[in-house]
Amino acid sequence: MTGVGDVSRATAADLVLLVPELILVGMALAFILVARRIQRTPLAHIALGGTILAALAAALAATWVVPLESAGDGATGFGGMITMDGYARFFEVLIAASLALAALLSVRSLDGERIPRAEYHALLLLASTGMMLAVSSLDLLTLYLGVELMTLCSIVLVGIRIERPAANEAAIKYFLIASFASALLLFGISLTYGVTGATDIAAIASALRGTESNPLLLVAMGLLAAGLAFKIAAVPFHAWAPDAYQGASAPVAAFLAAGSKAAGLAALGRVCLVAFGSEARTLKVILAVLAALSIIVGSIIAISQTDMKRLLAYSSIAHAGYALLGLIAGTPEGASATMTYACFYVFMTLGAFGVVIALGERGESLDGFRGLAAQRPGTAAVMLLFLLALTGIPPTAGFVAKFGVILSVVRADHVALAVLAVICSVVSAFVYMRIAVFMYMKEPEAPAPSRFPVTVSAALAVTALVTLVGGILPSSLVPWAVSP
Amino acid sequence: MTDYPVLTVTTFMPLAGAALVFFLKSDRLSRWIALATTLATLAVSTPLYLRFDKGSGALQFVESAGWIPSWNVSYGMGVDGISLPFIFLASVLTVLCVGASWTAVRTRVREFHVALLVAETAMIGLFAASNLFLFFVFWELMVVPLFLLIGVFGGPGRVFAAVKFLLFTLAGSVLMLVGIIALHNLCGTLDFKALAGANLEPRHQAWLFAAFLAAFAVKVPMFPLHTWLPNAHTEAPTAGSVILAGILLKMGAYGFLRVSLPILPDAVQLFLGPMLIVSAVAIVYGAYVTLVQTDVKRLIAYSSVSHMGFVTLGIFTLDRNGVEGAILQMINHGILSAALFLCVGMIYERTHTREIKDYGGVARAAPVYSILLALFCLAAAGFPGLNSFVGEFMIIGSAFETRFWLGASAIWGVALGTTYLVWLYYRVAMGKTNPELAGLALELDVREVATLAPLVLLAVVLGLYPECVLSYLHVPVRELLAAGGAP
Repeated sequence: MTGVGDVSRATAADLVLLVPELILVGMALAFILVARRIQRTPLAHIALGGTILAALAAALAATWVVPLESAGDGATGFGGMITMDGYARFFEVLIAASLALAALLSVRSLDGERIPRAEYHALLLLASTGMMLAVSSLDLLTLYLGVELMTLCSIVLVGIRIERPAANEAAIKYFLIASFASALLLFGISLTYGVTGATDIAAIASALRGTESNPLLLVAMGLLAAGLAFKIAAVPFHAWAPDAYQGASAPVAAFLAAGSKAAGLAALGRVCLVAFGSEARTLKVILAVLAALSIIVGSIIAISQTDMKRLLAYSSIAHAGYALLGLIAGTPEGASATMTYACFYVFMTLGAFGVVIALGERGESLDGFRGLAAQRPGTAAVMLLFLLALTGIPPTAGFVAKFGVILSVVRADHVALAVLAVICSVVSAFVYMRIAVFMYMKEPEAPAPSRFPVTVSAALAVTALVTLVGGILPSSLVPWAVSP
Repeated sequence: MTDYPVLTVTTFMPLAGAALVFFLKSDRLSRWIALATTLATLAVSTPLYLRFDKGSGALQFVESAGWIPSWNVSYGMGVDGISLPFIFLASVLTVLCVGASWTAVRTRVREFHVALLVAETAMIGLFAASNLFLFFVFWELMVVPLFLLIGVFGGPGRVFAAVKFLLFTLAGSVLMLVGIIALHNLCGTLDFKALAGANLEPRHQAWLFAAFLAAFAVKVPMFPLHTWLPNAHTEAPTAGSVILAGILLKMGAYGFLRVSLPILPDAVQLFLGPMLIVSAVAIVYGAYVTLVQTDVKRLIAYSSVSHMGFVTLGIFTLDRNGVEGAILQMINHGILSAALFLCVGMIYERTHTREIKDYGGVARAAPVYSILLALFCLAAAGFPGLNSFVGEFMIIGSAFETRFWLGASAIWGVALGTTYLVWLYYRVAMGKTNPELAGLALELDVREVATLAPLVLLAVVLGLYPECVLSYLHVPVRELLAAGGAP
């Protein structure tokens, strides 16, 4: 608990590091206090506008508030608990982007169901705050707080459609498993503190350097990895994801799949690479097992899914596995590969969810995609792009992401793992291309979908653009993906 | 005279056309745009043939630009004498595909032409790529439009055929991806020329060869990975079959020439025996299976297995004549299988049957069609004076020099090939007119004759003067074999 005493003397320089989080919290509080009164009025869309504004402001703040040159080791605050290094910056922008896109995608579900608009957006903002806090913490306790804030808000978001039993059931399942995961995480933190006498990530690293390996430390690392693996839904800690995604409204599922996975990966990356950098040999095994299981289970179980949200849930499990591949090597290049993967994955999965959302009820089941290409060729083409990206076919961003993580695995001499990963990508190709078969090669059964809300179209355009441009010019991202 | 980047423009012009077709929402216009684009692509590629220096084995028309510096991957284009004929073939065949689909494709015309044009970009880009990363990008890009062409516009079993095609090719190409990444890890570069001088350890070479073999053998296709081919070729629309048989099958063999032979010479020696045996089996087995087909398209599809067996046989003789013959044979097969699929497609449009027994006596009703079909069947059977003869002759000659039984099985394959093609022609065009065909206007119209005319011309010219292709091959093949440690 180094530096706890300093927190009371938080200065303006410390607060600057939290500007993105403060913007989001401020907006969330404003919604709860003010917007609650106007949500039955034509001004209801103010919540959407406010959320997007806050997301943009947070992204800008994350990029420009702290000048880059001081963002090295110097830019820490709150007694070394919070940082604004390149790693945090990257993920904060990514989280802000997924927040804005999720808000854009939520319009239809908010219009169609009786969901309190102000609270919904406030919860989205607070969940994002938690994610940002988690990615910028240099201390296991603040990391824990961030992750828990994210999870609690997500649970409420999953169950926010109170009239639907499925949503309630999903929220309760998610809550039970998430509390279990929190306990594991906290237990891991306490054991780590027991072994090293610190919760500060840098202090843990220096305490572990040069010491004999300790069985207690092994347990601590296992518990920490398990707790964070829950957050990214890696097998065998994935069981909540399909139920939660299916019970939640599609935009909430999209937000969970994108934002919370990115935040979980970021937290896992920092813990593995910095705190336990000296235990790379043990961590490698843990991460390799998590990754391999996630890829295999996610790809194979997705085959039999006919509910789109469940299908995308299993797809997100498999992708968690692919993203973990980059961390196995334990090198900065590997971490960059995982960051690139997380970034592109966020956009392509939000895009795929976006099409599901755009189609409304029809998009929730695989059968709804029958004959889409004949009715809406543009939408089908965009969906095909996301599916190709999720499969990892060039020239989409998915290929670049996959190339990067597999390259880092091969560099770490785990060729068998690389072969396993690509073979499973053929299995998942079957899953994704089955949707393409339904879109292009079957006759339509449902009437053509009505026009999409302009916000949904905007979100689809942004995600499609990133998915395509990221595949053609991946180097535009590289300077940003700096490992912790 | 030419100050534009020829290869880049040639490669991406079809893609621009595809974008135009996609955004101009008119079916009628899309045919004309596609035709104009394919012709323009052919036009902008002319400097390649006019200004190519046949005396040099180095890549020409080289273009290079930074792309992904963190992986040391650049955007690199360049052609040598081996890749140039394929660019020509790809750009010619796509024009013919547009012509052949003018009336055959009536629904979702825009999507059809978008897929066709994207496929053209992938084909030309693949043969123009000067590094393995770009090669792989185009290799994979090729799969998607063909998946859609087969699955959307094909026959009754199209969905199964499309998915089978997709899974077979992807399963092969992901292993190639691991191979590429491993090569990158070992050498730090993916440039073809740099890799050729890399001198990898034999142990690594063997594994890399196996990884690349997975991708190439599926595409060629080599026995026993050929089972996707009959489905895909049979169910695909005519244009899809033409692209599949004409270009896609050549991508695998081109991969052997571009990657396996120059970069993995030790592994090639190691795998030589199995490759030759598999090639011989493909020739003979393919021919026998072709013999018993009752569906015209399926028959031509299986004949490809046999003919591509000749190609891999030629390549792995590692003899100058064999390799040159194999490349020539790839071009010949591209021309002839395209021509035969076009012929079948044209008559199918009128009769709506692919069963051989539903035909008979077509020659009486459609003399021009029958003459052209006869020409293509004879050419494919290896009739002297037409194009296939020269390539097969060169391959068989080298095969006899390598092992007697290889040559013998190749001869056997030729004999069977003549049998099934002549028998096919006999059953379709000769004999009594099938009563079911009475009253149908079977004769070709001007557009269709114009579509087939370039292929007739190519078949005759390459038959009488094969040197017009071979002259491009002499230097690069000599250098390839010299570097690759020929026996």
